[in-house]
Amino acid sequence: MTEELWAQPIEQLAPAIRSGKVSPVALTEACLDRIAEVDARLRSFIQVSAGALDAARTAEREIADGRWRGPLHGIPIGVKDNYFTQDMPTTAGSTAPGLAFPMRDSAAAARLRNAGAILIGKTRTHEFAWGNVTPPVANPWDLTRVPSGSSGGSGAAVAAGLCAAGLGSDTGGSIRMPASACGTVGLKPTFGRVSRDGIVPHSWSLDHAGPLTRTVTDTAHLMQVLAGYDPADPACQDRAVPDYRRALGRPIKGMTVGVCRNHFFDALQEDVEKSVEQAIDDLARAGAHIREFRIPLLEYGLGAIFAIELSSSTAYHDQSLLAGRAAHFTPDVRTLVEMGRLVTGADYLKAEQYRQALMLEYRIAFQSVDVVVGPTTPITAWRHGKWEVQVAGGQQESVLAASWRFTYPYNLTGLPAISVPCGFDRDGLPIGLQIAGRPFDEPAVLRVAHAYERAHPWKNLMPPL
Amino acid sequence: MSDVYRDILGLDLPPERLKELLAAYRTVATEIQRLRELDLTDVHPAIIFEPTAPYRRRDEP
Repeated sequence: MTEELWAQPIEQLAPAIRSGKVSPVALTEACLDRIAEVDARLRSFIQVSAGALDAARTAEREIADGRWRGPLHGIPIGVKDNYFTQDMPTTAGSTAPGLAFPMRDSAAAARLRNAGAILIGKTRTHEFAWGNVTPPVANPWDLTRVPSGSSGGSGAAVAAGLCAAGLGSDTGGSIRMPASACGTVGLKPTFGRVSRDGIVPHSWSLDHAGPLTRTVTDTAHLMQVLAGYDPADPACQDRAVPDYRRALGRPIKGMTVGVCRNHFFDALQEDVEKSVEQAIDDLARAGAHIREFRIPLLEYGLGAIFAIELSSSTAYHDQSLLAGRAAHFTPDVRTLVEMGRLVTGADYLKAEQYRQALMLEYRIAFQSVDVVVGPTTPITAWRHGKWEVQVAGGQQESVLAASWRFTYPYNLTGLPAISVPCGFDRDGLPIGLQIAGRPFDEPAVLRVAHAYERAHPWKNLMPPL
Repeated sequence: MSDVYRDILGLDLPPERLKELLAAYRTVATEIQRLRELDLTDVHPAIIFEPTAPYRRRDEP
């Protein structure tokens, strides 16, 4: 790993900042220089904060005065452009006229600021967090490819060392998919664990807020700050926040790792399958019991998430539809927002019934396993403008269908799920391993993710920009 | 028939756009149709009405 400040994870930077060996100003300058150097090619930021250096100077003074606030103090973090921020306008990735979002901090941005983090800029999102491409952002491992989405700006920025961590939002996989495609860690926490107050809604009962980071330890640091009750988010739960860092560094010997063999292993790209099977073998070698199971109900999930996501998004954009603003959305998003009107109320409620049934099936599975692992996505990053990819057996599948196949079940069930890098395909593109857990059992998810990460070299690799 | 769809959508779309939209919806409709065939009669939906929720907001007067 390069010793450049911008390339170092928070776990390395935090103690150095605390002890005065690394200056938050120097770190922020290094990230701003890195943005200036490479973001004309990546286009991961829609806006860079004019106040970042001032915030870094404040952090430096506070730390020098003995007022260290914690591991995020003085750390530059990118904020997805669907989170409100008091000092940077929010666009939610849209250029449609007549849209205006409040100039105030979302709950997550406020928590990060209170922890002393430097909000270095707003990262690009696919419009209204719909979609898996995040135009015009490029994948740092291959600029001709997409970073996936919708938090593609955060994925690309974190992978390329433009910021130490990023915020993402995840309605069907939008944290984990770009994490997988860009070779970062990405956690979708349990529904209700992190407040969504001040995030432009996409689908109220599917939206989750969470971090993208370079390491699992960094994710634990961010979760320590982001998790917690907020009455401003009606779904947020008033539950104690555990010390996530205590889950790290513990062996997984004796844990039971579940592998759901239906749905999650259908139509994979060959290299993805190899890497994930290898990861499962590695977990077994580390002392975990592997238990295979099936959840046949998963085959009905796509209809359910379509019904909920489309109708919710359309309800949110009702005024834009009435005012004709939706005609100015990008064509793919406009189509999705308009077609939500075709989903019936009965379909929506049937999807919610399905969701309950699926949650019960998972509950049964979790009676005999601690976590469930599998691929985050069946495919690696695809080329800009490509709409179909080749999967197992030479079959062609649309990227829209393939990319979120393994992530959306955890939006339907609200279970915590992380993506950690687990190798590269023959084209040098990252592959993600998804690890899911019981509700609010982020510690088990982090424990397995960290054990896997420590045994492999992936976190030390940076894209050759 | 297209007038019926236009009424359901509540959007004044030209015929070509309406055709495009219905074609795009076909994949979704196929998946939702599969969901409709599941017997979930005895399953309560995951979303539960919760009348105390408004009283939990501390940021309102």
